[in-house]
Amino acid sequence: MPPASAAPAALRDPVDEAEPAPRRRARSRTGGALRRLALPLGSLLLFLAVWQSVAAAGTWSETLVPPPARVWDAFVDVSTTHDGVRGYNGTYLVEHLGISLRRIALGAGLGIALGVAAGLVMGTVGWVRSLFEPWITFLRTLPPLAYFSLLIVWLGIDEEPKITLLAVAAFPPVAVATTAAVAAAPRHLQEAARALGGSRRDVVRDVVLPSALPEIFTGVRLAVGVAYSSLVAAELVNGLPGIGGMVKDAANYNNTPVVLVGIAAIGVSGLLIDGALLRLERAVVPWRGHA
Amino acid sequence: MVSRETDGARPAEDTGRPGAVRLADVTHRYGEGDDAVTAVGPVGLDIEPGEFVVLVGASGCGKSTLLRLIAGFERPTRGTVTVSGAAPRPGQQAGVVFQQPRLLPWRTVGGNIDLALRYAGVPRDLWETRRAELLHRVGLDGTERRRVWEISGGQQQRVAIARTLAADNPVLLLDEPFAALDALTRERLQEDVRRVTARTGGTTVFVTHSADEAVFLGSRVVVLSRRPGTVVLDLPVGLPRGDVDAEDVRGGAEFAALRARVAHEVKAAAA
Repeated sequence: MPPASAAPAALRDPVDEAEPAPRRRARSRTGGALRRLALPLGSLLLFLAVWQSVAAAGTWSETLVPPPARVWDAFVDVSTTHDGVRGYNGTYLVEHLGISLRRIALGAGLGIALGVAAGLVMGTVGWVRSLFEPWITFLRTLPPLAYFSLLIVWLGIDEEPKITLLAVAAFPPVAVATTAAVAAAPRHLQEAARALGGSRRDVVRDVVLPSALPEIFTGVRLAVGVAYSSLVAAELVNGLPGIGGMVKDAANYNNTPVVLVGIAAIGVSGLLIDGALLRLERAVVPWRGHA
Repeated sequence: MVSRETDGARPAEDTGRPGAVRLADVTHRYGEGDDAVTAVGPVGLDIEPGEFVVLVGASGCGKSTLLRLIAGFERPTRGTVTVSGAAPRPGQQAGVVFQQPRLLPWRTVGGNIDLALRYAGVPRDLWETRRAELLHRVGLDGTERRRVWEISGGQQQRVAIARTLAADNPVLLLDEPFAALDALTRERLQEDVRRVTARTGGTTVFVTHSADEAVFLGSRVVVLSRRPGTVVLDLPVGLPRGDVDAEDVRGGAEFAALRARVAHEVKAAAA
């Protein structure tokens, strides 16, 4: 019996060891499916049960630990029109989320584009790298909240500071990853391309950039993660409508259920986006592991 | 032994012909100051258009350095290198096949050929025909859509050769291209290279450490001493070329005698 099986050791009978290979493989496949689906689902149910019992025990007030049912009601409330009120603050949950995702797409997209461009130049031209790398490292260590106030002073309270904050947050991981990957582009392939008559620009486009793509993708996923974790910060001021603004606003009124709904929405959409990026990476970089 | 260089002056205009390779008193050093290592030289060598010259010598004798000088990847520390009458620049006068195939893994087999066709300035509407033709020449018909890691090492090296032929350069340089392959594949590819180059009529410079390979492939075999490499033997090889049975060539008495002589010289030069 291969170790991949989820069956507890006590259930194994000695005959199992002598089973023909095909059946053993079939068994371990069902074991794999069990592990992939049942265990995460089980842990989710366990979490809900613990949550429910903690809330029911009444050790903390409902404002601190609302029961799951209240959070579900809040989810339904912010997703529908009730008592003449449309969602939360006149906007449905999906609309809050959509507005925030648009900010992320614009901000992180801008930061990623600039990061790739900067990384390309820094990775190919040594003195540019020496000139800018310390600044990017410095920027990367700053928590986005640290420069948010400055962005508000400079850019006001509308979309500009939010988009800029997300762009500034997304820029360093991509720039750093691209720089390293471009600088490490395989010399022997560059030489082969030059031997075929490729110009310097040809070599960058056909060898350096593709060879750096897997690393760039890692940087992009990191950047989207950073942008996501900066979302609530970006929407701290004048963030409504917006999922981060909704969380901030609900927190002002001790509306814990809505805060939790917002957090869950941010988390789930973040997971979905990361999964989509992973799929995109597999489609765009099929040679990963073969280079 | 003396290199042919000393045979006497050749008319200067001769060295400007497409495919002519001339090394005049070439020395190359790596590094600077006290750390400098003389890799090769002084070497003088005149290669006529259409010749198949094999540079043979023990590892570290500087034969790959000579090839890199001819390819234009390095500039000689002393002396001059001219290819088709000009100082060589990478990708301009000569095609290079390296020891490793060096194919781009993010391109398919056909995509690797297309890149070479684009760099060679071939119009896009001709790519499909030319690509099929090149793959046919190396015996890889119908592999256009394969991923490079899906084909064997020998097939990868064939693609590398096909891609190098895309530009129709008058000079083809090969740096121990079959060293990493198994004996059977190596023999087949040697026969292919012999056939392909006999047909194109271009100049070929082939680097190897194998006396057997040198005598089988070359119309002229140049043996280099150990580092810094200098020419110790410059031997014309009169074995039949073109459409001949490779087994007949390898099985002949002349082949055996030449191989023994070259092997002896290589061993003596390395000692």
